[in-house]
Amino acid sequence: MRIPRNLEVWRLGTVNYLKALKLQEKLASDRKINKITDTLLSLQHPPTYTLGKRRTDYNLLVPESELKNMGAELHYTQRGGDITFHGPHQAILYPIISLRDIGLGARKYVENLESTMIELSSLYGVKAHGQRKCETGVWVGDRKIGAIGVRISTGITSHGLAFNIDPDLTFFKHIVPCGIADKDVTSLRRETDLVLPDDEVIQEQLVSCFARLFGYNDIIWKDKNVIEIDD
Amino acid sequence: MALRIWASSTANALRLSSATRPHFSPLSRCFSSVLDGLKYAHSHEWVKHEGHVATIGITDHAQDHLGEVVFVELPDIGGSVTKGTGFGAVESVKATSDVNSPICGEIVEVNTNLKETPGLINSSPYEKGWMIKVKPSNPSELEALMGPKEYTKFCEEEDGGH
Repeated sequence: MRIPRNLEVWRLGTVNYLKALKLQEKLASDRKINKITDTLLSLQHPPTYTLGKRRTDYNLLVPESELKNMGAELHYTQRGGDITFHGPHQAILYPIISLRDIGLGARKYVENLESTMIELSSLYGVKAHGQRKCETGVWVGDRKIGAIGVRISTGITSHGLAFNIDPDLTFFKHIVPCGIADKDVTSLRRETDLVLPDDEVIQEQLVSCFARLFGYNDIIWKDKNVIEIDD
Repeated sequence: MALRIWASSTANALRLSSATRPHFSPLSRCFSSVLDGLKYAHSHEWVKHEGHVATIGITDHAQDHLGEVVFVELPDIGGSVTKGTGFGAVESVKATSDVNSPICGEIVEVNTNLKETPGLINSSPYEKGWMIKVKPSNPSELEALMGPKEYTKFCEEEDGGH
């Protein structure tokens, strides 16, 4: 008999990148010892550029000092993937889940993250696809609408996916996004003819797609203020 | 289920060690090989103990579930590894996955070929894709690891049980 699986979703609003990272590290540590159930952070970041473990900073096309002038931060992380941008109106999901408990390897996990964004896109009539010539991410034609960068430590995930609802795409001009030079970045706003609801609605839909694809029976929604969590 | 058990025990009886063994689980993508003579950790690393040196890598099952490895992070020679703790990482499909050491010891060699050719982990997980060589500080730790039969069963349960 299959044990019912719950997903606890924290709606965090806009969170500074490092604060969110610190929170993920704590949650991953708690998840490892089964102190908490599978948890998903749903949030947005202020303008932030991030690099992965391979430190591909040659894909940053402007000096770091110029980023500060733009009001953007730069962070080096332990996730997979290349350089990317996070900012307002980009939906971020950070699942802190045990892959061992659900018998998934990295490849299948990432495919499911792609499917999450593909399914969300289809709600707005946008035909997206993943695994484009072994390039992880979600695309509409030749244009990238969703990015993935994940860390798996002792079978527990952190970092996750970023889906472009309607971010300021000019920020992507200062990097070679995900190390891919000749392809465009796009957003849901650009690809759909439908009028978009508030970001919060879209983020909730994204979470629901995730929960369905990963086979969770129940979602427990929690609205959290990161400042409170610090203690 | 009965067919799977029969096949598994027949394979063992025939000592089909380096041949690929089909998994009859419908959720299994392809064949994963498990070698005799190695010990295995629950986190899918293998250990080969020869004399004073233990070689460590990740298994065929692990590389299959990871996807194409594009980057390998390895520790420095002279450092130490602790049982159950990460010593390096691999990146595949935009995911970095920590690799844990099944035993404690001192690192005496690392596979520098993996820097230029990380895909060796996929194409040759038990031979050319080895990751580190360690001088075990407590060889009895190897006894606590799984043998090939136990590890095969563990993989089948992990893949089939969800």
